[in-house]
Amino acid sequence: MVDIQLMGLLNATLQAATLLFIAALGELITEKTGILNLGVEGMISIGAVTAFMTAINTENLFLSIIVGVLSASIFSSIHAFVTVILKQDQTVSGLILTILGLALSSLLGKKYVGKKLMVKIESIRDVAEPSNIIEVLLNQNFIFYLAILLMITTSFVLKKTMFGRRIEAVGEDSRASDSMGLKINKTQFIGTCIGGAFAGLSGVYLTLSYVPFWTDNMTAGRGWICLALVIFGGWKPYRTAIGAVLFGFLEALVPRLQTYGFDLSPYLVKITPYLITILVLVVLTIYKEGKTGAPGNIGRPFFRENR
Amino acid sequence: MNNYILSKKTVVNDLATFYSFLIGLIIAICIGSVILLIQDQNPISVFSLMLKLSVGSINSLSSSLNKAIPLILAGLGISIMNSVKLWNIGAEGQIFLGAIAVNLIYINIEIYNSSLLILILLISGFVGGSICILLPAITKVVFGVNEIITTLLTNYIIIGLTIYLVNGPWKDPKSLNFPAATYVGEEVYLPTIFGRLSSGFLICILFTIGAYYLKEKSVFGYEMRIAGGSAMTAIYAGINARQKAFFAMLIGGGFAGLAGAIELLSQTHRVSIGISQGFGYTAIIVAAITGMRPIGIFLVGCLFGALTIGGAVIQTIGVSSYIAEIIQATTLIGALVSQFFFTYQIKEVKDG
Repeated sequence: MVDIQLMGLLNATLQAATLLFIAALGELITEKTGILNLGVEGMISIGAVTAFMTAINTENLFLSIIVGVLSASIFSSIHAFVTVILKQDQTVSGLILTILGLALSSLLGKKYVGKKLMVKIESIRDVAEPSNIIEVLLNQNFIFYLAILLMITTSFVLKKTMFGRRIEAVGEDSRASDSMGLKINKTQFIGTCIGGAFAGLSGVYLTLSYVPFWTDNMTAGRGWICLALVIFGGWKPYRTAIGAVLFGFLEALVPRLQTYGFDLSPYLVKITPYLITILVLVVLTIYKEGKTGAPGNIGRPFFRENR
Repeated sequence: MNNYILSKKTVVNDLATFYSFLIGLIIAICIGSVILLIQDQNPISVFSLMLKLSVGSINSLSSSLNKAIPLILAGLGISIMNSVKLWNIGAEGQIFLGAIAVNLIYINIEIYNSSLLILILLISGFVGGSICILLPAITKVVFGVNEIITTLLTNYIIIGLTIYLVNGPWKDPKSLNFPAATYVGEEVYLPTIFGRLSSGFLICILFTIGAYYLKEKSVFGYEMRIAGGSAMTAIYAGINARQKAFFAMLIGGGFAGLAGAIELLSQTHRVSIGISQGFGYTAIIVAAITGMRPIGIFLVGCLFGALTIGGAVIQTIGVSSYIAEIIQATTLIGALVSQFFFTYQIKEVKDG
């Protein structure tokens, strides 16, 4: 009995972690190019609503996933255009992406609130009550495995390939990179759109698997936790994944506390992940004494003044 | 071969922000029209209805200005914090905690002079907002934790606290369908000036002038700007940058908390989840669009208040109220885009 509960907790942890991790990984790539995008919440929301709408209307899962990923990526290109091409403030632009994304997805999704999804991304093998780790892993769907693949690929590309080194160079010191002949604008633009696509995939996972329905503001601040995760992970894919599992665990644990016999107000319990996020950020900042591993140029627009 | 490079203009038009705002607004109205057309609505009739129902009569005009109060106050708070180059994304939570503080003091204090009581409650709202930002402020100045994320996360904590209070300790047994706290007594309602306009609007005018003075004319404002600029300059000038940042954050949070207090005392009259409908987020747009200028925040706040009322009333003809939010957000994007053309120029550079 305890074992089943524990495995149920693990199952829920992995699901919550997948959702957080993919978007966080996308943000990590964006930030590596020196662009800060605070619009993660909005991009997840856009990906979620467009995928859900497509799934309801066409019942074609593959198409829904593509639509969700692409629309979030196109949406993120607003941020890329405003900050990379026009050199405007990244904080303002990112915030606006969140506000606009939430409003736009509520507008689009208005007719879809409460609709029942006929198709859903199925797990590899559906196990109602997983009793061991293998069954928990089998109970995940392909996006979970895709997330692992993306983690390994991203880490490899950033560390070992020319393309990854270029991204890192642009984010660290765009002036030096520019004099080396690297294409700053192009790299940052692509980096931002990749971040958007990843956030879109998180959104797809949210509405087509995690909670298969649509309501307003269903992202519930997860986009902001993703931003915290990038800091938590010190801009490293594997560490970010560890962070995602940790936060996924919190999200999974909190609603279960009462069934475990703790007498707590469900309303108060819901705020603990946010409190813990702040505490973790504090501990992390003290521990690293300011050396957080952030790309040197993050948040600063680049333009060649005079050569 | 000719190359084109970007360069910052040496002389930027004084009214650049204003023109950018106007261009942004026009772009936003165009985009809004397209969205309405897609939804089979006639944009001209929708917009004229919005105009009529938001500023067309004394009652609707005063409702619009009432909506502007929280946007302006929270926006001013954000702009004060921006003097030290810090972002306050937590105005939404600060508005809620301001209202919670008002209710907490109200149910625990016995004062029979209602003017004095109202004054005390308004101050508690301000203090509540400051308390709300205390954790992000301490973690920022002591440890250097990113305030954007901490202030934002605080929103979720405070809104969670509000839901807990109105479902638990403060729950009004008479309010069945909508969880809310018990109403405050009529003796603490803010009086109206004309139509439905609450006297909170006067407080708002006072605080706009105060924020302008604080930011532009006072020694503290000057020190904040230095502290927000280069760390070395602050050290040479003997300015304690951390201290300035700390107080700027507390004042900024207090402004938003006051907005929550006014909202409770003049509009909702009780604590509920309806104290703020995203005012804290809209206030960010209001502040950013004006380049953080207090007078601008006041004017754009009034306009956005009208837009919010307009958005709410067109729901009755089946148009989503989100159209107002989308117009507000795209105005800022449009303004950012046009700001580019005022501050940068594209130069032609001949190679060789």
